[in-house]
Amino acid sequence: MAFEYAGIDLPIREKTIASQRMSWEMIARPGRWWTGAERVEIARIGRAARELEAVGSELLPEAAVYAIQKLVVDNANLNREFYAEVVAAEGMTEDRYVELVAVVVHSLSIDEFHRALGIEPEPLPEPIAGEPSRQRPALAEQRDSWPPLVPRQGLNRGDDVFYGPLEWGANVISALSLVPENVRWLHDLSEGHYLSFAEMRQPDPLRAISRPQIELIASRVSALNECFY
Amino acid sequence: MLRESSKRNGSLDSLNLQGAVGPEADSGVPHGDLLTAFAEAAVRRTDALPGLRERIAAELGVQELVDAAGVVANFQRMVRIADGCGIPLDELTRDATDDVRDELGLHEYASAANTA
Repeated sequence: MAFEYAGIDLPIREKTIASQRMSWEMIARPGRWWTGAERVEIARIGRAARELEAVGSELLPEAAVYAIQKLVVDNANLNREFYAEVVAAEGMTEDRYVELVAVVVHSLSIDEFHRALGIEPEPLPEPIAGEPSRQRPALAEQRDSWPPLVPRQGLNRGDDVFYGPLEWGANVISALSLVPENVRWLHDLSEGHYLSFAEMRQPDPLRAISRPQIELIASRVSALNECFY
Repeated sequence: MLRESSKRNGSLDSLNLQGAVGPEADSGVPHGDLLTAFAEAAVRRTDALPGLRERIAAELGVQELVDAAGVVANFQRMVRIADGCGIPLDELTRDATDDVRDELGLHEYASAANTA
């Protein structure tokens, strides 16, 4: 089983382990627009990019490899032109881009957790065979962010809770909703590494470090990445 | 979120937001210098990381170290979602934080263009 943390003398929380295992399963399974093998390949290219290795791929379109590398190492300089160029390229669409971003950022987050603690990266999962479902949510709508978004009625059953009282959710929560499974994935790994959406509204104590300490780290990471959001 | 959580904890008076964006100022958050140095070393992947890990474990505790690593990991993800999808600031956040963002120089970031 993945994420055993055997021989690691650190108190890794059960929710962290559960959310990391779920993420590895998500990556291995066929999505809506990429096969399991392609999704694992996306994670592989992203992992190499973080090591500043510009590896190529026989499975992915050239534009996908370019997008992965930009997302990992040059994220402060992404802009609308980059997005338009990538989604218009051969083998790419808005839907494929959104699914690619989700795989890149969730696998990168888990790698970053390990690296911060001096733990070797987890071997990438074995892909699960099958075809992508190729289902675009009927209610997807172009709003202010680059890819279209899905409103609460278009989410998977039970996931509307993640939007709170809002029709379109907070912008960062709905950002990857064109592939609706991403909304729950975003939440569950957030709960494992940081806080659940419900915990974000609750007072301390939530973790071993205080909420101001948590948010100070978050602010510094955002500033280092030159992220305005 | 930092300002809001400090307000809730009753520590807003000692908070210096300049300490959140760079190492030049003291944030006023307990152990803030150590935690932000750790975050910086993790993001930038510097040789200081192992020593900072040991210091956090010794001065704060190992659960504190694990939780700090989780926050770094989470926000390495969130910034890429925000900037990879070109999302603008939520309206309420924009209105409530415009002055602070100006003061901290955040409008200079390329991704500020995503918020009209």
